[in-house]
Amino acid sequence: MALSRSMRACLHSGRLALLAILVSGGIVLQILACALYNNWWPMLTVLMYLILPMPLIFFLGSDTSSMMSNGGDGWVNFTKFLTGASIVGSIAIPSILKHAGVIGWGALTMELSSFVVFGVAILWFLQMNGEDEYSGVF
Amino acid sequence: MENLALLWGIIGPGVSGAIFGAGWWFWVDAVVCSAVQVSFLHYLPGIFASLAALMFNCVNKDEIGYDYYSPYGDDSEWRVKLWLFVAYVVSFVCLAGSVGLLVQDALTNKGPSVWTGVAGVLQCVLVLISGLVYWTCHSED
Repeated sequence: MALSRSMRACLHSGRLALLAILVSGGIVLQILACALYNNWWPMLTVLMYLILPMPLIFFLGSDTSSMMSNGGDGWVNFTKFLTGASIVGSIAIPSILKHAGVIGWGALTMELSSFVVFGVAILWFLQMNGEDEYSGVF
Repeated sequence: MENLALLWGIIGPGVSGAIFGAGWWFWVDAVVCSAVQVSFLHYLPGIFASLAALMFNCVNKDEIGYDYYSPYGDDSEWRVKLWLFVAYVVSFVCLAGSVGLLVQDALTNKGPSVWTGVAGVLQCVLVLISGLVYWTCHSED
């Protein structure tokens, strides 16, 4: 390995910092979508965001491979089901509010951007957590 | 082909949840954007479709098969098949009911708009599809 140990530790901390920046950016976009127009209906999407990382909370702490397998545990399947439903809900809630005329195009755009940023952060966290099993830094 | 089946086993529950959520959110959109109050009768096809999807997936897939051994005797699997039969009857009655409500909304000027009927049919179809998707992708062994 060309990089030294301290250099790899520094890169690892940098990736964690960038992940934190992504999550913070998603939160800022979410709050901006409500505060700029003084219309707090889009906060309903936060309920969907709470359900979105449920497989990570339940199963990634112990074993990351159980999420990416079809071992058939009923609870794993149920949390995947909830994740799929919450992904659709994160897109559906702003769209329904726009269709009903409660929010405008600006808030809709910020809501969907917030969802994309959160999605990228979660996928990157999965990838980062997965590869750390074989290339440990410490 | 085996890799595709393996991938389906991994992603299938998420896809099923997405389809289920899409079905119910179409109905929420129709109710929220409706100019008139939608009566509770219009909610029933979606509720019973969700119940039917749940009934499908209460059955272990391995219990239906010619090599299934049961300590209760050779004829015990008729209960599982009867349960599935009732689930399918409920699902088809939901579809028929939602189509009937769509026709009623289309033919009359008073009452909910056509989008409410279309969303009801979409809700039933998507909820039942999500039940079948979950059935095909999960295995209990």
